Amino acid sequence: MAKKEYDTFVLTDLALVAEDKETEMIVRDLMPADRRYKYRSAYVFGMVSKDESKYPDRLWVRLGRGQLQEKPWSIKVIKEVNKIPEG
Amino acid sequence: MPYPVFKDNREFINALKANNDLVTIEQEVDWDLEMGAIVRRVCERKSASPYFKKIRDYPGFEALGAPLATYKRLAIAMGMKPDAFVPEISNEYVKRTTGDPIKSILLDKKKAPCKENIWTGKDADLFKLPGPMVHDGDGGRYLATWHFVVSKDLETQAVNWGMYRQMVFDEKTMVGPVLPFSDMGKMFYGKYVPKNKPMPFATVIGCDPLAGVAACAPSPIPEDEFTGMLMGAPVELVKCETCDLEVPAHAEIIIEGEVIPNLLIEEAPFGEYTGYRTSPREPRTVYRIKAITFRNNPILTVSNMGVPTDEGQLLRSFSLGLEMRKLLESQGIPITGVFMLPESTHHMVVVGVKPIYSNIASQIANLVFGSKLSPWFHMVIVVDEETDIYNKDDVIHALATKCHPIRGIRKYEQSVGTPLYPFADPEDRKWSRGAQILFDCTFPLHWPKSDLPIKVSFNNVYPKEIQEKVLQNWKNYGFKD
Repeated sequence: MAKKEYDTFVLTDLALVAEDKETEMIVRDLMPADRRYKYRSAYVFGMVSKDESKYPDRLWVRLGRGQLQEKPWSIKVIKEVNKIPEG
Repeated sequence: MPYPVFKDNREFINALKANNDLVTIEQEVDWDLEMGAIVRRVCERKSASPYFKKIRDYPGFEALGAPLATYKRLAIAMGMKPDAFVPEISNEYVKRTTGDPIKSILLDKKKAPCKENIWTGKDADLFKLPGPMVHDGDGGRYLATWHFVVSKDLETQAVNWGMYRQMVFDEKTMVGPVLPFSDMGKMFYGKYVPKNKPMPFATVIGCDPLAGVAACAPSPIPEDEFTGMLMGAPVELVKCETCDLEVPAHAEIIIEGEVIPNLLIEEAPFGEYTGYRTSPREPRTVYRIKAITFRNNPILTVSNMGVPTDEGQLLRSFSLGLEMRKLLESQGIPITGVFMLPESTHHMVVVGVKPIYSNIASQIANLVFGSKLSPWFHMVIVVDEETDIYNKDDVIHALATKCHPIRGIRKYEQSVGTPLYPFADPEDRKWSRGAQILFDCTFPLHWPKSDLPIKVSFNNVYPKEIQEKVLQNWKNYGFKD
């Protein structure tokens, strides 16, 4: 099965990102089944690694002003978390 | 009515076409960056408005790019000659917006085109609308780039229309900055949040062109009535489906919902009106949607903020400058005009004045910096009547030659700023702190007349009869211009 791709914005020093630890974060789906949903954001629990091959899916990293980092990381999305109350 | 009025976006598109200011793009265009790139290039080249007929993944939807990014399009929107000069458009704007406001009228829902399609519940899904990815690196898709948000004051019931950018987060959620000193910021953070009450909102996309102009204008008149003044006719409104707000009946798309108190979600980055991505991704205000209503074959309006000139810069400069003109005239200051340069990303305003008493430039700066308009600009250039405020070359000449590097410059510290100022320190941006400056380009009144430098220009140092002779013979001499 093809890898899924996500991206995330890291607002701290990249060196401070915890690897191999279940972490809550916001990711954007870059490869949804229905293309209209590309860039949909979600709060997820996931584990990340700076090693591109460690987890099943690819994670691109951007900094606070959108700067794309050259090398992707990898991610395992454990579950989506609903943090927003119904309108 | 002495001028044509466009009751909706579609009539305006027809007018742009009739004035050769529209490029209809039949080829399919991708909402993911391609559409944004086209609109950006249009803004940078001052090209005609692109009208996108086919958007990838979204059959049935269309989009209009850069709807008001030039003075020509503003003149067309005002029902004026497309080649009207800026001072003519300015005078017409001031004339129409001085006097009695024109109350809006309420249409029956059955007569409102924006109710042709109604999505509620699960159907109300933001990804079913072709929100573009405007710039590479943006924090998300911005459905609302040329639009306005309707909200109502909890206590006074005053209605506000304002442009607050909105990024799609998920199917039901949008996020965006609402600065605390903005009209909606004062309502939401000042009144709803302390009571932990959600604030109803309606985002209006693809409105008639003058409603967009009004939503940009920092006028004290309610924006719907201000639109009516610009149009010379009442705006037709209709009730929302899920709250008691009213929206323009002829708009293309309406998104209804609530602004959620005490919840912030990361938004941005986004290419901003200053021509930079200055403010980083940060937790910002959350809009939760309840309904989407739209016309058949809706036409999204898309602006692309970046380096000059886009409609954010042009219209905000235009209306900010003219609201300053009204303020200064209301105080009896002998100004000859006010022009805010769009290329300054509405940071720099030029005020022409008859300097009939000393320190008049300081009085002007104190008034405009002390007004509610002031967070949006920080440079005031005051020139005398021999400088053409609309001529950039002339203004630069005055600035470089008449402004004393010490005596002519006055600094204003500790003022209200915005987080978007590229020059501001990161900590100042975070707290919306700014600074402002006055460039006084008038010669001091106490100088003896005999010591005043004489401006050496065609209009100033030749007798009238020589000027006329040269002008009459200009083509005979062989000049083609």
